[in-house]
Amino acid sequence: MMAEEIIPAVQINNLTKIFPVPFRKEKVIAVEDLSLRVEAGEVYGLIGPNGSGKSTTMKVLLGLISATSGSSAIFGLSSSETASRGSVGFLPENPYFYKYLTGAETLSFYGKLCGLSRRKIKERTSELLSLVDLENARDRRLGGYSKGMLQRIGLAQALVGDPRLVVLDEPTAGVDPAGSRKIRDLIIEFKQRGISVILSSHLLEQVQEVCDKVGIIFQGKLVKEGKLEELIEIESQTEIILEHADPKILDQINKLVQASEETRLLRSGKPKTTLERLFLKETRAESEDVRKDA
Amino acid sequence: MSADKVKSVKDDLVLQHKLFSLSRVWAIAFNTFTQLVRMKVFYFMLIFSVLIIGANFLFLNFTFEQELKILKDVSFGAMTLFASIFSIVGTALLIPKDIEDRTLYTILTKPVPRFEYLVGKLIGIIFLVAVSLVLMSFLFFAVLYFRQHGILAEEIKMIRGGATDAQKEYLKETIFAQGVRPELILGVLAVFLKAAVAAGVALVVSTFASSTLFTIIVSLVVYFIGHAQSLALEYYFPEGQIHGALQRFIAGIVAVVFPNLQMFNIFDGLITGQSISTTLMFRLIGLTGFYLTIYSMISWILFAKKEL
Ligand SMILES: Nc1ncnc2c1ncn2[C@@H]1O[C@H](COP(=O)(O)OP(=O)(O)O)[C@@H](O)[C@H]1O
Ligand SMILES: [Mg+2]
Repeated sequence: MMAEEIIPAVQINNLTKIFPVPFRKEKVIAVEDLSLRVEAGEVYGLIGPNGSGKSTTMKVLLGLISATSGSSAIFGLSSSETASRGSVGFLPENPYFYKYLTGAETLSFYGKLCGLSRRKIKERTSELLSLVDLENARDRRLGGYSKGMLQRIGLAQALVGDPRLVVLDEPTAGVDPAGSRKIRDLIIEFKQRGISVILSSHLLEQVQEVCDKVGIIFQGKLVKEGKLEELIEIESQTEIILEHADPKILDQINKLVQASEETRLLRSGKPKTTLERLFLKETRAESEDVRKDA
Repeated sequence: MSADKVKSVKDDLVLQHKLFSLSRVWAIAFNTFTQLVRMKVFYFMLIFSVLIIGANFLFLNFTFEQELKILKDVSFGAMTLFASIFSIVGTALLIPKDIEDRTLYTILTKPVPRFEYLVGKLIGIIFLVAVSLVLMSFLFFAVLYFRQHGILAEEIKMIRGGATDAQKEYLKETIFAQGVRPELILGVLAVFLKAAVAAGVALVVSTFASSTLFTIIVSLVVYFIGHAQSLALEYYFPEGQIHGALQRFIAGIVAVVFPNLQMFNIFDGLITGQSISTTLMFRLIGLTGFYLTIYSMISWILFAKKEL
């Protein structure tokens, strides 16, 4: 099998996007000579601070704006072709939807745009509303949804056409830890189903568990890219985590280290859980208490 | 995933994509209609009812002819006003809002060509105008019918010593000539066509303006100039004076930018009892079709490459 036969889910080549500033001479270079590739079935994380060009890259990929130079394609189809969006789900950052529609009507509307049959729409609507935990809000208008609920209906909307590529712009921004946990679980599920994902975030920790590959974007340029473990491992260090270690063993280890010429002990102590894990654990216990009381 | 499978994804996408899909257009149109209905626009019917029922009590000292004429005048005037406001304000409200709220992102990242979005919006708004005109016509015709019978009874009563059959027949004929006639439907149709053209104008403006207020103002200016367009053209190019390519070109541009809306005001004639020729109606329908096609094309050109 020849290498060039493999068509990636996303292929961006030397993309540059320059925005003119009205009534001024200078221009904003939002993205500069950026190339990236997301293989089919892969989860790709685009990480970078605010204003680094993540959303702009995604908008070019989805044909919402055009590239100043360079090219982008989805499953080998140029972003300028409507057909390239035939199997794409997109969740914009801070999404807004029609607030006069209910949750179910929203999904049915987007289902029709994807060309689904009436029967299929009914099926998908129920399936997706339960997937994102919005069954209770099914017949409520979106005008009354909270931020987290909007994010979740946005995710359901992205999935309605059973897409092969999902593009998520800051999916966890402004969502509480339980909500972002849920979103990460969903992304893992996409991956298991062979769906390709490209997502952006300005917080590495929120997505590092789910990404196969990470690109770090800064001031419009892709400054580093690779497999996540490779990017974050510190080559010269090794970590040992012991359970129920008694002082004698620790003493012996210390002596061994001191005897060695090169090895140095940098730090020892109890590993810390992340604040987020703690939060999740505590709130879970809390809600179980409440349930017991009731 | 194997290479073969991925390769077939591309072919699938190309095969499955429909260049134009009526069901997508209809989904957008119906959504637009629903949105406007849920914004409670139909409360305007209350105002309309008050207007045309009130018109009956304001002018009690007129002759029956005047009375029915005023009722028709007020009704057609109000219908024109509401229909035109709905088309202009509806379009100006919805399209810039979709852009501003970025709702458009989620629509255009489905396999929806931009042209379909524009046509869907336009159809949705025109559909709303049609429904509101049907409602208004029902009320209008009902009130008119009720009045013409009321007036007939009053007039018969006023004849001293009782009316002869011949007198009754004469009264009925003259009064009903001012009452409900099938031609009035043509007047309503003309109001509808005019509002549809106005929606087309607002569509063009909203695709480049991306601002509600600006769209409303510019569309209203075009709307009003459109009523004087034929006068202006006649003034600058008196009959038979359009010579040469340049003048023809200028006259053509003026006619496209400022549609001749005065042509649609056929209800003035209808109210005084004139009849309407079918040729005129077909001309109006053709003209509307022409304007809507041109305006859809222009807005598509403006919108196709728009950076969102
Ligand atoms: N429509 C636009 N016009 C002008 N400048 C823009 C536009 N969109 C984005 N930018 C600029 O491009 C840069 C990248 O923006 P963006 O892609 O939104 O960053 P991110 O999503 O990583 O936060 C920013 O400096 C932003 O101000
Ligand atoms: Mg962004």
